[in-house]
Amino acid sequence: MAKFLLYITLTISLLPFLAISFSPEIPTDRRVLVLLDDFAVKSSHSLFFDSLKSRGFELEFKLADDPNIGLQRYGQYLYDALVLFCPSVERFGGSINVASIADFVDSGHDLIIAADTNASDLIREISTESGVDFDENAAAMVIDHTGYAVSNTDGDHTLIASDDLIKSDVILGSKNIEAPVLFQGIGHSVNPANSLVLQVLAASPSSYSANPQSKLSSPPSLTGSAISLVSVIQARNNARIVVAGSLSMFSNRFFRSGVQKAGSSTKYQKSGNEEFLTELSKWVFHERGHLKALNVRHHKVGESDEPSMYRISDDLDYSVEIYEWSGTSWEPYVTNDVQLQFYMMSPYVLKTLSTDKKGLYSTSFKVPDVYGVFQFKVEYQRLGYTSLSLSKQIPVRPFRHNEYERFLPAAYPYYGASFSMMVGFFIFTVVHLYSK
Amino acid sequence: MARSTSKDAQALFQSLRSAYVATPSSLKIIDLYVCFAVFTAIIQVVYMAVVGSFPFNSFLSGVLSCVGTAVLAVCLRIQVNKENKEFKDLPPERAFADFVLCNLVLHLVIMNFLG
Repeated sequence: MAKFLLYITLTISLLPFLAISFSPEIPTDRRVLVLLDDFAVKSSHSLFFDSLKSRGFELEFKLADDPNIGLQRYGQYLYDALVLFCPSVERFGGSINVASIADFVDSGHDLIIAADTNASDLIREISTESGVDFDENAAAMVIDHTGYAVSNTDGDHTLIASDDLIKSDVILGSKNIEAPVLFQGIGHSVNPANSLVLQVLAASPSSYSANPQSKLSSPPSLTGSAISLVSVIQARNNARIVVAGSLSMFSNRFFRSGVQKAGSSTKYQKSGNEEFLTELSKWVFHERGHLKALNVRHHKVGESDEPSMYRISDDLDYSVEIYEWSGTSWEPYVTNDVQLQFYMMSPYVLKTLSTDKKGLYSTSFKVPDVYGVFQFKVEYQRLGYTSLSLSKQIPVRPFRHNEYERFLPAAYPYYGASFSMMVGFFIFTVVHLYSK
Repeated sequence: MARSTSKDAQALFQSLRSAYVATPSSLKIIDLYVCFAVFTAIIQVVYMAVVGSFPFNSFLSGVLSCVGTAVLAVCLRIQVNKENKEFKDLPPERAFADFVLCNLVLHLVIMNFLG
């Protein structure tokens, strides 16, 4: 009986840990809703789903027009991430619509959108909300007559072997993806003014977006490397979105197929799709590139308590700890470009923090000779990493009246002159009175 | 005319000196006192030009104490000069008392500002 009670208490005390989900402490997503056009995709794309499951994700497969689906219940999100593998859906079932998906992302959740040829207006609208624009011609596909993948059937060159990947270790992992990535689908463009959107897989300069069945009557609207095949978005709230123009690039067929790029003699046994999409899914589900900062400390040199105020030309120490989430634990983040601003409308002090390689970043500097309300600011935005934005307000006061230096050697002549005037006055008074 | 400039200047000096010899000795003492104050002020300005204006409040109080002393002494000289008809109703004792009072106020301010 006592043993049974012990188990009960143990289970109850462990409940908060068992019900683990997206939290600042463990940023990796856990519960993923996958919306499909039909359940055949579940088996035809099983390699991708299996790789997610093996990394600990709970996938919930639903048809996109299932009337019982919803992202929220009682104001709480049921999922940490949403995968839209439903390019042809015209209207979601249940309570999901474009606005609710935008709210889902706005509250910091992640999203994977896979479009395809004849993508529905709904999927296009969601992509536009996310910052990428698919080719408006519904029948258009990305065609590349020089960078296509060699296959047995002499196709229409819509199966592209692309190797124009973004060079970023944090998004695509430190291992180099050698084999080209197979792609068959529609292209999109990203707005160059939008700094949150990145082309991860770009089309080659010789590609264009047009209907392969019909004769090209007018110049295609999208050409060259302006066509993005796969793009990522990291919103300001660190929500991450992947937009791919091809659903089939996630499929088992593309994962397993060999690839040989036209004009190249090297034939790869396996396309780069699996590696590319696995690494990309690690990034989008926050298994990589998620930073956190804690223990922001500052104090005068030689002291350890944080003062409520500094005086001008005080010497101070500032330190902050930055960790990166590795998927299972927080590892020290090591870099040499974290900068601290001592800021009052503009940075008065800008210093690069030095690191001890164990996550601690620190610096020391002298408070400038200006008083007012300052901020310690760390604004750290790097490609692929979540942004860090720390600020801590601190007032700086001038010298108190008794903190000024006295009896400066440089001022002795002035002191001497003043006192000699007084002595002179005294002597003059005596002389003047008695000289009659 | 141009030939005799140095001679004229000499003559001017001669007349100035002979006129000044006639000045009462009490006024001469005041003149000496004014010269001392002005000379000290000039020394401080030269020192500031060399060293820089860092303890600026000290510089100001040092120079202003000299200038103030000189101004007050000149005022006293005007008032006690017997040939000056404007102040013939003012007794020299009253003028001297004013001078002492003003000096006390001046030096009080200077001490506060000297830093």
